[in-house]
Amino acid sequence: MWRTNLKIAALVLGVVGLFTLVANSIPQLESDVPQALDLSGDLSPAALVAAGERIYGGAGGCATCHGLGTRAPNLFSGEGGQGAIGARCGGRKPGMSCKDYLFESLTEPGAFVVPGYQPIMPDLRRTLPADQIWAVVAYLESLGGSVDVVAEDVRAAQATAPPAPPAPPAGGATQSLDPREILAANACVGCHALGGTGGAVGPPFDGIGRRLGPDQIREAILNPAATTSAGYEQMAGVMPATFGQQLTAAQLEALVTFLASQR
Amino acid sequence: MSAPGTWASGIREALRHPFWQAVALLLGAYLLFEFGIALVPPLVGIKSAPIPASVLVQYMLTAVVGILLYVSDQEERWRRFKEPIRAALVDPNKRWIRAALLIVVPISAGFVTYRQVRPSVGAGAQLRSIHPAPPSTISFRGRTMTLAGLENLLRRSGDSAQHLATGRRVYYANCLPCHGDLLDGRGQYAHAFNPAPLSFADNGTIAQLTESYVFWRIAKGGRGLPREGTPWNSAMPAWEEFLTEDEIWSVIVFLYQHTGWKPRTWDEEGGGGAP
Amino acid sequence: MTDLFPLLQAVADTAGAYGRFPVIGSRAAVWIAAEVHLMFAAFVLGVPMFAVITEAIGIFGKDDKYDRLAKEFTRLLVVAYSATAIWGAVLTFFLTTLYPRFWSHLARLFGLSMWIYVGLFFIESFTLYLYYYGWDRWQTGRAKYGHWTLGLLLNVWGTAVMFIANGWLTYMMSPPAGMTAETLPESVGLWNALANATWMPINIHRLIANAVFGGSIVAAYAAYRFLAAKSAEERAHYDWMGYVGNFVAISIFIVLPFAGYYLGREIYQYNQQLGITMMGGFMSWLWILQAFLIGILFLVSNYYLWIGMGRIPGAERFMPYTKWMLVILVLGVIVWATPHTMIANRRELEEMGGSHHPFLGVLGVMSAKNTAVNLMILTTFLSFLLYRRANKRPTAAWARAGTIVQGLSFGAATAVVLFFGVYGYFVSAIVRIGFSVYQVLAVLATIVVVVVLDILMLRGAQSRGAIRWGQMPERSQYALFLLAVTFTWLMGLMGFARSGIRQHWHVFEVIRDTSPDAVTPALGSAAIMISACVLIFLGLVSFIFWLSELGQKSSPGREVAELAAAAPPPPSGSGPSPAPLLGGD
Repeated sequence: MWRTNLKIAALVLGVVGLFTLVANSIPQLESDVPQALDLSGDLSPAALVAAGERIYGGAGGCATCHGLGTRAPNLFSGEGGQGAIGARCGGRKPGMSCKDYLFESLTEPGAFVVPGYQPIMPDLRRTLPADQIWAVVAYLESLGGSVDVVAEDVRAAQATAPPAPPAPPAGGATQSLDPREILAANACVGCHALGGTGGAVGPPFDGIGRRLGPDQIREAILNPAATTSAGYEQMAGVMPATFGQQLTAAQLEALVTFLASQR
Repeated sequence: MSAPGTWASGIREALRHPFWQAVALLLGAYLLFEFGIALVPPLVGIKSAPIPASVLVQYMLTAVVGILLYVSDQEERWRRFKEPIRAALVDPNKRWIRAALLIVVPISAGFVTYRQVRPSVGAGAQLRSIHPAPPSTISFRGRTMTLAGLENLLRRSGDSAQHLATGRRVYYANCLPCHGDLLDGRGQYAHAFNPAPLSFADNGTIAQLTESYVFWRIAKGGRGLPREGTPWNSAMPAWEEFLTEDEIWSVIVFLYQHTGWKPRTWDEEGGGGAP
Repeated sequence: MTDLFPLLQAVADTAGAYGRFPVIGSRAAVWIAAEVHLMFAAFVLGVPMFAVITEAIGIFGKDDKYDRLAKEFTRLLVVAYSATAIWGAVLTFFLTTLYPRFWSHLARLFGLSMWIYVGLFFIESFTLYLYYYGWDRWQTGRAKYGHWTLGLLLNVWGTAVMFIANGWLTYMMSPPAGMTAETLPESVGLWNALANATWMPINIHRLIANAVFGGSIVAAYAAYRFLAAKSAEERAHYDWMGYVGNFVAISIFIVLPFAGYYLGREIYQYNQQLGITMMGGFMSWLWILQAFLIGILFLVSNYYLWIGMGRIPGAERFMPYTKWMLVILVLGVIVWATPHTMIANRRELEEMGGSHHPFLGVLGVMSAKNTAVNLMILTTFLSFLLYRRANKRPTAAWARAGTIVQGLSFGAATAVVLFFGVYGYFVSAIVRIGFSVYQVLAVLATIVVVVVLDILMLRGAQSRGAIRWGQMPERSQYALFLLAVTFTWLMGLMGFARSGIRQHWHVFEVIRDTSPDAVTPALGSAAIMISACVLIFLGLVSFIFWLSELGQKSSPGREVAELAAAAPPPPSGSGPSPAPLLGGD
């Protein structure tokens, strides 16, 4: 009987082994998990930079202005021989290190505006948690400079109060209810022409009241992705969806009324 | 040994024996798989090519199993099949055959092992899943598109001849160098690429897919392939950076029109289940 | 913010959500516990099904040997039952300790059904004990019918228990539409979650598969006893038992692909992405492996029948045809397992002009594969028919005409299958999917027509001599082992497919798997896990069978008496068989 038992065991092992061998002999494909962005642990600078790059092109919405047109400094190119942002940041504001300068311009954009540009940049604390802002700083430093953002910065940012931005005054850089001032302060004319001047990235404001009703204008401001004007398909998605947070309700209504009257 | 007649009858005699039948079948199967598949269909005008080694192994394995079942499914045949093997192993007058086997078997085993472990410069065999699972939504120029149920709106609106013309223009301006004049994946540059550009004329590419899937592949290119099927190494650009949405849809119209395939439609059910 | 936020959320969610299992890791631990539990469960759900049917044949056909057979099945059941419960407990403890947060989600959602489950399980156990230990006591008269009803109840409880558990696991695969990570489990509704999109397809699929699995394990048990048998009677009995087990397994197995097809359709309908991941994504090679395994099942089960013809007087006249059936089967396996996208190196790819072979490419699509499978099913059915016909000489006046009709319907089914197989290349994918239904219907219709004709035709047929049960070469019994191992392995593989298509989700698109094991493994490492599960299961099952044998031996004389009663009758009677298809005379 032992012979039979051994034979059976050999058969079972042989068959199971064959199946395993066949399954292993084809190229192996694993289904990876989409990578999570974990800024909690001890991060290497390279990981921070990679995370920052993703935010720069994605959630941060930075590329909307920086790099497209002349509304904001181009961070990749030399800007007149000064080198990319990582190289020139240290000398931008006297007495401020590169790291501090970048962090300040992301969190208090109005504190220092590069000459020749409008103060149109929004406070990123409204859209990003502090640790992610540090990741963006690291990324910017890596563009031509050396990264000196360390894990402590990220951790300190996480420790200091939840992502709560210090109740920033809404309305972008202005509190005014004058529609023209709102348009200027929020850099709308950077993309949309008014009175014949302004960018051509988006449809002009001239005559917009003929094309859209007030409700449509309101929707276009609050949720730019909802519809795209004919002829601007290439630019779909460029307009930030942050104006809902940037404008006060009164400002928004003033703006809508003003635009609807542009016939 | 002398006249051809005795040879023929000797072979006929041997083929009545299960052992030699099995040998002949094995040989025949090998010839069929290795050369027959590549050489016979072209004789009647059907395109063919040699089969990859992986498929050859798989077919031969199946053939061996089949032959073993054949020789052993009747007691009498099984007994006769084993006779020559037994004789070769124990008969005193088969000493030379035994000795030859003792030399040949280890040498061939060694040869096979050598072939397998020998380092080579060529890229190894690889498997590509032609149809990886698409994501449920993609973002196209900042806009979120849900792929499930997405249809080519150009098929319902506007002038279809116009769309076709646009698609043709877009194809010849952008896709031609790789995917070729005949849409068969043999453009001028195609030979430089591994993986090679897909042939749309093949019944297994766009013929099997919904238009939204094709849209996803064109818009996102090789970079947008999911990680599940790495390594991709696909050189396909992400055309969303160069073409508008309507241009992509019209090139899709052109692809289907030109190859004659019909896109898979969204109806109440999807593709085949587990057979 | 769009895609980043949930990811960060997921990271935050990991803390405290997972336990650690030493050496092999949490996932492997739960995998083994679940798979082995499932294999035992399939066995203890499958065996009662045909224990009851066999007992009914014994009662209504007034044939005692079927009754003995049913009792022998049930004896295996009693020991296997506690193993099922033990592994179920292991699985539960592993889940609560290793995946506490996920478990609490399930508990919040399914709490009530878990209590019902336990209650039903309790009732099921005692029904089983009554059924087995009451066998001899309620052997005659009205009591026997009562006993049989117990067996029926056993099946009802078992099925209910399985349906509830299926609700839990199909919920993980296809949670009710509209559910998101923020949805409170309590707000979903128990019935809503249980009766989700893939619940019924899985129920049906498993019900069928369990019977198949039970049959193959019983056949393996019989094979073992055959090989260990000391007397001719014993050998005859176990030869017959092995045949019955295998018959049940294979004949039910034939309908399993259709249930699988239904399940696949529902998965596609629920979520296209889930469907494509399953059939075209990283799992596409799994189906080639599955084709290889099913090919082995078809080949070996036919082989078993052909060897079996050696013990049937009169079967000689069919033997020359077996080799042609073998040719069809081998071609079928080759076609079915031909991959559409081939593994090839650079040079081979160039020769083929892509990873699709210009000539064999046509074999890689659904039409060809469906055709191959249907022809293989027809061939297997023909093997059974010839086997059954072998020792009979029909006396009915219309026997010749009947045989011709049978032949014609085989021909018609083949023609339909081939026609739609070829025509499928000329129509769009959507129409083509519908064709497989026609092919299946043609095959099923043929099977029904031929069986009905056969039963009528062979009524009162003369015998060409009794089957010489027990005169089987040993390799036929090893074939039964091979079938059982392959069935078990296939079950593990399909389990991986079902569970793996969720990828990195505990509950598809509701709860993410944020553990270190979230990666869905490649086929090779999955195969190693499956093999481990299969070996654990088979090891335990052999031990259980050995135990039941031990129990038998401790009461000397009894087994001999049982066997004397159980052995097939001496080669005299050839009256109408009570179980026409089982060919037991």
